[in-house]
Amino acid sequence: ADIISTVEFNHSGELLATGDKGGRVVIFQQEQENKTQSHSRGEYNVYSTFQSHEPEFDYLKSLEIEEKINKIRWLPQKNAAQFLLSTNDKTIKLWKISERDKRPEGYNLKEEDGRYRDPTTVTTLRVPVFRPMDLMVEASPRRIFANAHTYHINSISINSDYETYLSADDLRINLWHLEITDRSFNIVDIKPANMEELTEVITAAEFHPNSCSTFVYSSSKGTIRLCDMRASALCDRHSKLFEEPEDPSNRSFFSEIISSISDVKFSHSGRYMMTRDYLSVKIWDLNMENRPVETYQVHEYLRSKLCSLYENDCIFDKFECCWNGSDRQVEFLSLIVMTGSYNNFFRMFDRNTKRDITLEASRENNKPRTVLKPRKVCASGKRKKDEISVDSLDFNKKILHTAWHPKENIIAVATTNNLYIFQDKMN
Amino acid sequence: MLGKGGKRKFDEHEDGLEGKVVSPTDGPSKVSYTLQRQTIFNISLMKLYNHRPLTEPSLQKTVLINNMLRRIQEELKQEGSLRPMFVAASQPADPLGDTFGEAQPAFSHLAPPGLLPAELASTMPLESCLTPASLLEDDTFCTSPPAQHDGPTKPAAPALQAAKDSFSSALDEIEELCPAPTSAEAAAEAGSKAQPSQSNLHKPEGVESRTAESKLMDPLPGNFEITASTGFLTDLTLDDILFADIDTSMYDFDPCTSATGAASKMAPVSADELLKTLAPYSSQPVTPNQPFKMDLTELDHIMEVLVGS
Repeated sequence: ADIISTVEFNHSGELLATGDKGGRVVIFQQEQENKTQSHSRGEYNVYSTFQSHEPEFDYLKSLEIEEKINKIRWLPQKNAAQFLLSTNDKTIKLWKISERDKRPEGYNLKEEDGRYRDPTTVTTLRVPVFRPMDLMVEASPRRIFANAHTYHINSISINSDYETYLSADDLRINLWHLEITDRSFNIVDIKPANMEELTEVITAAEFHPNSCSTFVYSSSKGTIRLCDMRASALCDRHSKLFEEPEDPSNRSFFSEIISSISDVKFSHSGRYMMTRDYLSVKIWDLNMENRPVETYQVHEYLRSKLCSLYENDCIFDKFECCWNGSDRQVEFLSLIVMTGSYNNFFRMFDRNTKRDITLEASRENNKPRTVLKPRKVCASGKRKKDEISVDSLDFNKKILHTAWHPKENIIAVATTNNLYIFQDKMN
Repeated sequence: MLGKGGKRKFDEHEDGLEGKVVSPTDGPSKVSYTLQRQTIFNISLMKLYNHRPLTEPSLQKTVLINNMLRRIQEELKQEGSLRPMFVAASQPADPLGDTFGEAQPAFSHLAPPGLLPAELASTMPLESCLTPASLLEDDTFCTSPPAQHDGPTKPAAPALQAAKDSFSSALDEIEELCPAPTSAEAAAEAGSKAQPSQSNLHKPEGVESRTAESKLMDPLPGNFEITASTGFLTDLTLDDILFADIDTSMYDFDPCTSATGAASKMAPVSADELLKTLAPYSSQPVTPNQPFKMDLTELDHIMEVLVGS
């Protein structure tokens, strides 16, 4: 099994795509809900598997280009086929996933097995007809968007116009048209003239869900910049800069590193956005730049371990975060945020009730179809029963990627090698 | 948690440091702050220079580590102008040796690796190189329980003064043996607090080392297309690195040396002792408890690179 590097539901939630370190994409499909079995929603089964990216070699720099899939983004469905964008460090590809469940039979010049018939034996003509066959799911690359990024691509985001998308690397953001592969427009460039002066990189970028000229990008210094493409061709000057002043009481050597934002996600309405840094999740109101409106501590008990985490590189782990899907009763309200942690724990925060929960994605500790037991980490002092002490956390078991079904309370949680799908308990 | 006397694991050690509220201004905590800063500096250097990936290293990680190193360097610069300078650099391996004129500190564990090959290449073999006193106490420090930060508060200054005196007397001794412009300046400045004069001391070496640096940078894997890491190192002045952080305040608080006495550590070191210190180092990646040994590993590696090229 390979290491999962990205997880993404499509717009209907029927399909769930995962990318892995080996360049493969695996798509799961939800079974159609059985109306009689109202106690469970459809299960997800493998629908299609294909090799999206292959390892490459950069001859100029004598370095390998990893085939690891960094991000997958689905396009909204326009016809029978599904389209998704998948990217590694350097190249973005548009894949078409289509079903074939019929095939033509009754050719005049060919036998059923493909051999050509002797024309002299053809005495009558017939019209070929489509007959059902076993379902075959085919994936084919329709566009390849290459050679536009010197640095490693960390984000792709499809615009609300469904015609363009952006791709962001460490220093630049490019704007593409989905139909045009030989040209892209650079809209952000933070590369300094002298690379020795480089102190900040782009870590994530996303288009606004409703405004097709607005996007945000986050940095390794904990800032988020909102840019408007109508202002100028090169959006080096931000329209808004979101930054929280540093808390002097929490100042340490690692303040900058832990402030580096690893993920940014707009809320469904576009009024808020959520950022993930090493220890917390912050919710920002787009109308207020000087501080977030809410902050949730994911694993504050790690604050005293930062030196060790720096030494073993865990402090550079990039956790993603996601909003809940729109609840059935209340459409398009972003109420719950979910993000991963270590020891195969993941956390959810309810913005309304301010309650939070820690759950574990592990086969050993959870039998299938049983309710997950909430977990608690004991930061210091006496460990209560069922609590786990900070020192016994497994930092190799990290949940970096989580996704929430866009319409139902089904979540996909990726541990290093496994994908877990949970649904809420139905009454 | 500290000073238990039991075998100290790295994590516990770090927790002990981090558990304290450390700020540059507290008295006894300054030691742990300094220690932590040095540890982080070493870890950062190791991360930057030991990385030998097949693929390009992550630019974000490189930038963050560089920022960390820069920040520590800035702090050192600022502190360097405030604290008394302790010239640990010029201890001879062999008091009677006539190679003192060229002798450089075998290691300041804060020196960027690029600086050292030049020094080593131009001087005697590693075993007989000088080693600053702080290095020795690091070794002691590593193998002993961590200092009691909230232990008996010996005022730092008099202890430091005492140490300096014994050391400056050692320096005087050296000066008598081998009067050289560099050593004379060193001896003269041993008791002084002036930093600028020390920059004169190391300018000749500095120039030489920088050229070695730029030569060194080429074979290293691309950090910022190589230029950025070079830039970081060339920003430093040798005296800042070699002098600014060599302080003996650490062993002042180290209870384990109370038996032997701190001053005795400052005596000129014989080649044997040096060999003992240097011998156990291996090419395994080491914990920051042993920064000296780790950087020797780097040195070795760098030497290979230089010799190979």
